[in-house]
Amino acid sequence: MNSNPSPSNSSRFEGCTLTGALSVTTEIRDAISIIHGPAGCTHHNFSLLHATLLSNDRLEVPRLLSTRLTENGIIFGGEEALEKTLTRALSLSPASIFVLSTCIVETIGDDTEAVCAKDRGVPVIAVPTAGFLGGVFEAGIRNALSTVASLARPAAGTTLSANLVGEKNLEYGVDENAAEIARLLGRLGIGVNLRFVRGIETGDVERLGSAAVNILREPALRPVGEDLERRLGTPYVDSFPTGLAGTCRFLEEVGRICGVDASAAIEEEHAFQAAMLGRFADIAGSRVHFQSPHPMLRGDPGAEAICTECAEALDLTADPDGAAIPYPYPAPVGTAGLQRMLHRWRILIREKQRG
Amino acid sequence: MKQIALYGKGGIGKSTTAANLSAALAGEGLDILQIGCDPKHDSTRMLMHGTWIPTVLDLIRERGDENITADDVVYEGFRGVRCVEAGGPEPGIGCAGRGIIATFQLLERLNALKGDVIVYDVLGDVVCGGFAMPMREGYAREIYLVTSGELMSVYAANNIAKAIARLSRRVRSRCTLGGVICNAKNIEGEQELVEEFARRINSRLIAYIPRSRIVQVAELQKQTVVEYAPESDQAAVYQELARTIYGNETTSIPTPLEMDELESFALEFVQV
Repeated sequence: MNSNPSPSNSSRFEGCTLTGALSVTTEIRDAISIIHGPAGCTHHNFSLLHATLLSNDRLEVPRLLSTRLTENGIIFGGEEALEKTLTRALSLSPASIFVLSTCIVETIGDDTEAVCAKDRGVPVIAVPTAGFLGGVFEAGIRNALSTVASLARPAAGTTLSANLVGEKNLEYGVDENAAEIARLLGRLGIGVNLRFVRGIETGDVERLGSAAVNILREPALRPVGEDLERRLGTPYVDSFPTGLAGTCRFLEEVGRICGVDASAAIEEEHAFQAAMLGRFADIAGSRVHFQSPHPMLRGDPGAEAICTECAEALDLTADPDGAAIPYPYPAPVGTAGLQRMLHRWRILIREKQRG
Repeated sequence: MKQIALYGKGGIGKSTTAANLSAALAGEGLDILQIGCDPKHDSTRMLMHGTWIPTVLDLIRERGDENITADDVVYEGFRGVRCVEAGGPEPGIGCAGRGIIATFQLLERLNALKGDVIVYDVLGDVVCGGFAMPMREGYAREIYLVTSGELMSVYAANNIAKAIARLSRRVRSRCTLGGVICNAKNIEGEQELVEEFARRINSRLIAYIPRSRIVQVAELQKQTVVEYAPESDQAAVYQELARTIYGNETTSIPTPLEMDELESFALEFVQV
């Protein structure tokens, strides 16, 4: 029996396991993801992924196929339908195929793994994603990342580079956040080895093990970090950096793991942050009132500390009558993320001043 | 139209009882439909003189449910008893419970659920919602528990009583317990034990069917006892059962026993 993991840090600890896993597997662009279940599970996710791609200016179609199970498939078993859909997927010459299960096929006990185990010339990989077993959106991401990692080859050695692990592919700022990490790593002379998984191809996963460090998107991905460390020997940093001091600490941590002296990089970043804050001198001394982003939403637990830190740096005063500023969700990444957040603060403060 | 269902532990003799009951009811000049609700699909075989009739789910699998008529699924057996077998998926795959639900929906659509009496003969245990289907949606109004005096069989009957008690609380459901049938294994004090069990779950023993070799002999001839040996004492028992059930107007909501009550009940009755 399974039970829900206890929510520890965000509302992503809800939602559909399948959707979480698809947000990973569909970013392998030469792969096909088969959803083994009723057509609706695929349609719903297709719409979500397609809309997200469009809002990130990517005119692509998610490569999804459904086994389109109906009542007879449930009564007599759906493995035959999966075989047929695999044949159809193979006719489209993918570099790999991911087979994701749904609640109903796990309920009736279809042996998805056994069907996937047959040799078909390309990797066919089962990802368990039935949500009712207690997993949530985040569990789907973790399952998918660990499953995709099975395509990695043992590395002969590592290069001075990092993997970005578990980027939030459905969030609006995903590429800006990746660019910010690349900028920070650049200060240490460290390159990006692989975005695991965003916009890559099946063959790219082979080099997963050649990075010196894995940088997880958020602490909830620690099990994936542990898994990759065990399998490929790569140490990990458990989150993208947040906050002014947090960003500098990140440089220090990555430097320590990679054996790079980070002191110069940290000094440069301090100066960079001071210059960035200097550009918001016009709102210094304003009165602000931080509040939950929406009555229906919980804020990012790290957001409050980040807001307090920035408010102090800009000498803002907390006042219930001040400009209402929502806690950011998710917490902004790096110095660039803070800069975008402060732009929004400036707009809210000016609106309040205009009345 | 009277709709009844027989439930009880696997191997206890539900199908034998159901087939003989249907045969005896038909002997009263009644129009009977017997529906086997078990993937083993052997409920109606004695009524069909050994013929395995095509199951509803086999037909659905082969043709799809659009191209099936009532004549494809309903077969006339001994004394014109109309026989249906739900069937199921291959063992070890799919979902037999959903299959029962699909069977009922199809029979409903084909307008095949008719007659003076419908006898539902259901899988041993109510393992999931699908196998409770005959109790739901107002199909079987009266459930008869078939049990011997063996404790495992009484435990199974008690479990089924739980399902009846639960389903009878629903607004749309009209299922009640019609009574307990003792299909004897020739254990000492068997009738008293089953009688007392029935009383404790707020029901009553409505028939005691003694163990008789003639049942096996008739089965070897692929017939019901009612057909093979109509003048036998055993046939008379089934005829009496048929009259009792057809005339039964006393049903109840069962009060199943808790496990500790069942265990102390067993201790009272079984001589160590």
